[in-house]
Amino acid sequence: MDKIIGANETEQIRRNYETLSGTELMKRNLYRPWPARITSITELTATEKLFELRLIDPEVREAFTHTAGQFVELSIFGVGEAPISISSAPSKQGFIELCVRSAGSVTGVLHDKQCGDIVGLRGPFGRGFPFEEMKGHDILLVAGGLGIAPLKSLINHIHDERHAFGNVTILYGSKNPSEVMFRSQFEMWQHRKDFNLILTVDNTEDQPWDGEVGVVTKLFNRIDIDPNNTYAAIVGPPVMYKFVIAEMRKKGLHFDRIYVSFERAMKCGIGKCGHCMVGHQYVCVDGPVFNYWEAANIQGAM
Amino acid sequence: MLFRVIDKNEIEALVRGFATSYEVVGPVKRGESYVFDEIGCDPSRLCVDYTTTLLPPKKYLLPPREVLFKFSTAQNSVQDFEQEIVPRVLFGLHACDINAINRLDKVYIDDEYDDPYYHKIRENTLIVGISCMPSEHCFCNVWGTDEVTQGYDLFLHDIGDRYLVSILSVRAAEVLTISTSAREASVQDSVDFQTRNAKFRSAFPSANNISELPMLMDAFYNDALWEELGERCLSCAACSVVCPTCHCFNIKDILSPNGEEGTRVRVWDSCCSPDFAAVAHGHNFRATAASRVRNRFYHKFLGYPSKHGDVLCTGCGRCEVACKATINPRVVIDGLQQDAIAQRNSAIDKGVARG
Repeated sequence: MDKIIGANETEQIRRNYETLSGTELMKRNLYRPWPARITSITELTATEKLFELRLIDPEVREAFTHTAGQFVELSIFGVGEAPISISSAPSKQGFIELCVRSAGSVTGVLHDKQCGDIVGLRGPFGRGFPFEEMKGHDILLVAGGLGIAPLKSLINHIHDERHAFGNVTILYGSKNPSEVMFRSQFEMWQHRKDFNLILTVDNTEDQPWDGEVGVVTKLFNRIDIDPNNTYAAIVGPPVMYKFVIAEMRKKGLHFDRIYVSFERAMKCGIGKCGHCMVGHQYVCVDGPVFNYWEAANIQGAM
Repeated sequence: MLFRVIDKNEIEALVRGFATSYEVVGPVKRGESYVFDEIGCDPSRLCVDYTTTLLPPKKYLLPPREVLFKFSTAQNSVQDFEQEIVPRVLFGLHACDINAINRLDKVYIDDEYDDPYYHKIRENTLIVGISCMPSEHCFCNVWGTDEVTQGYDLFLHDIGDRYLVSILSVRAAEVLTISTSAREASVQDSVDFQTRNAKFRSAFPSANNISELPMLMDAFYNDALWEELGERCLSCAACSVVCPTCHCFNIKDILSPNGEEGTRVRVWDSCCSPDFAAVAHGHNFRATAASRVRNRFYHKFLGYPSKHGDVLCTGCGRCEVACKATINPRVVIDGLQQDAIAQRNSAIDKGVARG
């Protein structure tokens, strides 16, 4: 019952601005969240769930387009907002997937939501991965822990346009087998010829595991990379970047072809509130994706 | 640029002229200090020879607490919020404060990421500047913000018993023409203006050369100065509150008592507050006061300039008065410049650099 009224209210707002396109509606006020219905919830681990959302306003839904690496601000009305990176590929139209760890007040409440419930979304914000520029090259993707969430968007997008890329290597490290996300999908992918996917855990903790054991940097001696034809992306906990970048540099990868994504407290998402400031940059508009050359030139970033 | 001259006693008529269609805000005396306040139709409350107000005029453009929209938790819906806009004149702003508003405009009025709340208020705000003489805390001459050439509608330059009025907008020109007997500037007016400017400039102590400041901010990013300032900083955020250019905010949901509806508001925030850079799962990217103080000045002297060209400080001196721990731009500039000299002398002594 409640949900139907929610949709009607949106209709009313639409009527007030019926001459505006979806893009114009969103741009009118970038602080305004748009109601979105939860259409699917998948439990990934004990602390992470994958939410599939559908914006209720049809024109806003159609106007919402993103690039891999961008994020949205997710609203739970009465609790607040949280910046969440988009996990689905831009090629998946009409639905937005968010892989969310229950970590704070907003994400905690989101985890108690059910299919059909309504939340608020605004965005997408920030600069994503240079997908078009990456085409025609080999790809090396390295994820650590929850870093797989923003990288999943890029992985899915590459998957959808697989013919446009050379060799694709994905290294994904988790603490233990129970924290591996998208495990069933990735275990199937391990048999694919067009993706070189290697999963590793720091420790099996006596759980069943047929992947690698050890930190993700240990996998670098197993992979073969053409340094002049490769784009790389790393997303993971801050401590991981330094070591993974060192391995990539040893392989001869170019400074400006190694991409990283930063997690900061993006409150407004549009370069105003100051919370995500790092060095001279705002992560929300200048990032969250930076190449390593840019990142190394940001004081206090690496 | 268009200039006219009015007699000083015509200022009251000018204020009354604005008051017919605008709320007039200006400097008024409160206790031993000055504040910007609504003066109604009473021009006699206006203190045109004030020094500096306690709070800058940003409170009218970026209210300390501003409703973004209302929502219903029961229906999970958003109601578009209609701002109540009061057409307003900020009357009697000094050059530093107008320069500060120009810097806020660059952040909030933007083609790609426009802030509709600030934009709407700013569009409905006129600014009438007035010339001043520096107090002991003023250092606008360091940045060149002792003069302002844009962003105002009128600027009143004190030339003895008259004001030389610089006019930048049609709206203000109409009010000026209707309410006063504004006349063409004479040669004498022009000469008096130059004499007055010379007197104004010579009233400042000599300014530090700040051409190397951006370089120093990077080269001395790990300088001991930041630890020293961090130990002194009380993380009270008074600096950000009184700063005319500080504009960080937080976004919060305020629920009604029955929990069924609420408002999303933005409230002033400060990068010097301890949890400003903390993320949801607990990590705080600037957990120490030293890192927060450094971030604040790094943004003012290098971050903002790298995007918008200007330094995000206008030398108004309010933070010098407000900070109980004596942390302010002049202390930072002096500290970095002294450390640079000390480093160079030490290198010469060790024979690793030439004198």
